[in-house]
Amino acid sequence: MEPILLRARGVPNSHSLDTYLAAGGYEGLKKALALEPDAVTKEVLDSELRGRGGAGFPTGRKWTFVPRDHPGPRYLICNADESEPGTFKDREIIEHDPHLLLEGIAVASYAIRANTAYIYIRGEFVRWAAILEQAIAEARARGILGSEVLGSGYGLDIWVHRGAGAYICGEETSLIESLEGKRGFPRLKPPFPAVVGVFGKPTVVNNVETLACLPSILTRGAAWFASIGRPRNTGPKLYCVSGHVRRPGVYELPMGVTFREIIEEHCGGVRDGHRLKAFFPGGSSAPVMTADQIDVKADFDACAEAGSMLGSGGVIVLDDSVDMVEAAANLAHFYAHESCGQCTPCREGSDWARDILDRIVAGHGRPEDPQTLLRICNYASQGMTICPLGDAFALPISSIVKKFPQEFERHIAAATPRPPKKLPVLPWAGPRPGFDGR
Amino acid sequence: MPKVTIDGTAVEVPAGTNLIEAARLAGVDIPYFCYHPHLSVVGQCRICMVEVEGAPRLAIACATPVTDGMVVRSETSPRVKEARDAVMEFLLANHPLDCPVCDQAGECLLQDHSFSEGRDTTHMVETRRTFPGFERRLIGPHIIQNQNRCIHCSRCIRFTQEISETAALTYKSRGNHAYIDTFDGQPLTDPFSACTADVCPVGALTVREFRFRKRAWKLRSTPSVCPGCSIGCNLWIDHHERTVFRFTPRENEAVNATWLCDYGRFLAESLNEAQHLHPLHRVEGQLRKVSWGEAIRALALDLGAARTLRVVAAGTLSNETLFLARELFVRHLKGELVVAVHDGAPRRMKNARGQWLRSRDAHPNSEGARRLGLELVDGERLARFLYGAADLTVILDPAAHPYLATTEALQLLRVSPTLALARTNHPIAEVASWLLPVASLAADEGTFTASGGKVQRFEPAVAPAGEAKPGWQIVHLLARGMGVTSLDLASPAAVFAAIAARDRAFAGLSWHDLGGKSRSSYREHQHVG
Amino acid sequence: MTTAAIHAVPAEQLATVTFDASTEERIAELLTHYPTRRAALLPVLWLCQQRYGWIAPGVIEAVAARLGESPAFVQGVVTFYTMFYTSPPARFVLQVCETLSCAVCGGAELVEHLKARLGIGFGERTPDGTFQLVGVQCLGACGSAPVVQINDDYFENLTIDTLDAILDELSKRKEA
Repeated sequence: MEPILLRARGVPNSHSLDTYLAAGGYEGLKKALALEPDAVTKEVLDSELRGRGGAGFPTGRKWTFVPRDHPGPRYLICNADESEPGTFKDREIIEHDPHLLLEGIAVASYAIRANTAYIYIRGEFVRWAAILEQAIAEARARGILGSEVLGSGYGLDIWVHRGAGAYICGEETSLIESLEGKRGFPRLKPPFPAVVGVFGKPTVVNNVETLACLPSILTRGAAWFASIGRPRNTGPKLYCVSGHVRRPGVYELPMGVTFREIIEEHCGGVRDGHRLKAFFPGGSSAPVMTADQIDVKADFDACAEAGSMLGSGGVIVLDDSVDMVEAAANLAHFYAHESCGQCTPCREGSDWARDILDRIVAGHGRPEDPQTLLRICNYASQGMTICPLGDAFALPISSIVKKFPQEFERHIAAATPRPPKKLPVLPWAGPRPGFDGR
Repeated sequence: MPKVTIDGTAVEVPAGTNLIEAARLAGVDIPYFCYHPHLSVVGQCRICMVEVEGAPRLAIACATPVTDGMVVRSETSPRVKEARDAVMEFLLANHPLDCPVCDQAGECLLQDHSFSEGRDTTHMVETRRTFPGFERRLIGPHIIQNQNRCIHCSRCIRFTQEISETAALTYKSRGNHAYIDTFDGQPLTDPFSACTADVCPVGALTVREFRFRKRAWKLRSTPSVCPGCSIGCNLWIDHHERTVFRFTPRENEAVNATWLCDYGRFLAESLNEAQHLHPLHRVEGQLRKVSWGEAIRALALDLGAARTLRVVAAGTLSNETLFLARELFVRHLKGELVVAVHDGAPRRMKNARGQWLRSRDAHPNSEGARRLGLELVDGERLARFLYGAADLTVILDPAAHPYLATTEALQLLRVSPTLALARTNHPIAEVASWLLPVASLAADEGTFTASGGKVQRFEPAVAPAGEAKPGWQIVHLLARGMGVTSLDLASPAAVFAAIAARDRAFAGLSWHDLGGKSRSSYREHQHVG
Repeated sequence: MTTAAIHAVPAEQLATVTFDASTEERIAELLTHYPTRRAALLPVLWLCQQRYGWIAPGVIEAVAARLGESPAFVQGVVTFYTMFYTSPPARFVLQVCETLSCAVCGGAELVEHLKARLGIGFGERTPDGTFQLVGVQCLGACGSAPVVQINDDYFENLTIDTLDAILDELSKRKEA
């Protein structure tokens, strides 16, 4: 397939505006500006583009939730807080083709009639934030952004906003809170951001890859886009493959290739002398899939049918050298570290699950541990929490417990009881100085 | 109005009511920890899960507004029971379960819910998370923090952000290691700091002054009104036997929602002070103990004989005391009466509509005195009033005005006989010829008129100390001693009926209706989970 | 290699902070990006971390006053995010990714090596104040695991040898 999102990879100086314009850049935006905003939305609806951030919600549908008669400002936010373990596609677009993203942002902003857009980029991406800043400055200097976008009378400002190290800010309401200058606590829904979003105004939050699809939908048409993949699962998709493959990296493939194609053909298969054991199809928050599920199609619906999810398209490949209990413990550390601490099941559950898994890995597992883990996962997901981080830690851990019970059994069979904790007896040190509480 | 069925009981509730409040109207108690009727809804604790017919997932009652025809199951749903059990297990996973040594026990939402609905087993076998150094930490002049007990409901943070507007408290760090703190560990000097302990559902924040003084279940609560300024915040006097232990807010949406300022709240302790326990009469320069009978008989003669009589009342006295004083001393004995008032520090309170009410008045009932047609005087005019001799001077509350404690005032009062009502040590005892022991607000009954004009009733919580009597009763006894039959009103209720009949400003008011709506404290009210 | 060292201003000098003219100017510009002052909090904190090397309590007070927030609120925000330093960092902060893809592709060995070579554990710094070792969660570069972020820069596809070479060069720069 010809590269669409990654066409600039390998092109010298690809991040500059001149290179981008020479390759036909900003033609999609020109086309969009010639249409009514609703017609742009229609085009995106027809393309059946689904959000690439993880949930796979139809992008055009999301836009239509913005109240049409809302008087005040509306906002578009580009979610570049790429933090899902196993996902590294947005950075690729920003590094090689920042103007593709800016064009996509401009198209989406025009469609929802927003005059301000923010790019919320994760704090660690210092260099990539600078690339975006530079691209925005270039575009503004040439009249592509600013009070007159390409002389159309439509005005758009784009600002880069850096996060500061919080996975939870990839969740859209948490991102909005963070953008407003607060702790990144997800909001209760409803109201949804499209109605009450950033600064209390209608807001659409779209992922980098989603927005990067827009220029080509405009230039080549919805039908062309929908012809890639299969109905409801259309367009090119960036698959990020990491872990035990020969050639890890980002691959742009038509939606719906099988995981076998991705792993074996494009990535050269797992390392020599090892066999595939398991893989996460869409970032670590998706339920794990086993080697026998390798022929599942890598699209939204097929992954859902297989009991997992395409998520962000971050494929983490694990070969037979990996101890799945250790992998679960590793992920539990991640989620316990990243739980915002706002609501009970996720805050307590993620820590608790991590402690249990650490104990099993340390050789002190108990026979009831797998059941306890499943119980924690059950009650930290399925709407028990404010945001999907509960599901995000529950699904991978519970799927590992269910699909690799023999590994837990092996650990637990070899376990020794945890040595009792020795509590030191402290000598009496006299009354505590400075404390005058009763 | 939408109609909703909760656990089989149908109720009609105002549109926009959430399911917790709707259920309360239906007689169903949905447990909650993070919800508070006067704070924003955050849906953090997840214990208020209910099953809404037609919805695939459980919903949190605090954030679900009623819609017409909604069918909700709370206690009758096994799914809800399971979910709440799981949430309780999560909450208790790291909670220290130190109820026997926790001062919140007895008024702890977590303990109550655990007791009524919880299970006595857990799957948790890990080492509990603790916050070393945060177990007994003074975070402000009035608040002691035990972070180990915190269930991360964020009510205290929201209180400082939304009500007191200091935003002095915050979460620090995140996840399960988040804790409550002030900026850089500086003291929590919020003027409403003790409310953070009120809203704390567990023993993570407790009030230093009350901590370990009395178990909550030993206390009885009596409705009263704050004597600290003229805003008239509603409160409960929490008492046991003859001792007042604390004030806690009594819900009144128009005045103080469910808040009290630290100044008013910590006046509670002062109600227990009583140095004057018997009527005293000065004979040959010495104050001697006399009986009430002797005192009233002798004073009735003195009052009858006085040609010039002057009376200093105060804005601290109830409408009933002021009315009886006016009727006896002014209308009947033709004496002169002034009400001493003075400015205190500025006070403020936020009502349930988010409006700030303000007061500079140091007294709770200056407005009542004004509406009874009495003359209000400041210190300077009080000095002029007391200048020169009189046959008898009556001081109804010497502690009310600072001028009365000055050497100048004492010199003025020394020249002629003075009757003073007193509870605590006051320099006036050096010059008064009669000292009658008066009961504190906690042992008194009557009404105050708040600066907004609202007449509010307070009830007697404890018996007066020693032989002390409430102010209205002392004036009433004097009137009876003098044979003034028209003032033979033997209870504050009877006095108030007379006020309502004779004073236009009080026309139409009935004693019965002045007690306020809330007959159960907010604490009890939220303990039903 | 262009990785710039962090120069943390000592705590004593940050007891009370007044922004200089250029910082003020930059803050004023940042405020034009947002309809509320509060929204500029993260960018202003980044600016301060760049200027002072870390976010001292005195800096928090200055930022809070400038944006009309309470210092407690600002401190709450600072401590929510992991990238703001609340104590003076070393000149080079080695942020080693510990999450799954890095862990299974040699990250764990890298951590062991770093701990042994520097003689410090996570959260600690070398006595000379050159290096500080921090374990971080996914850096979003899993395809080029294992990854270490040093100050603002990513170092990818690392082996013990390439990492050693980087550390050697950074240590040399300290002496220069």
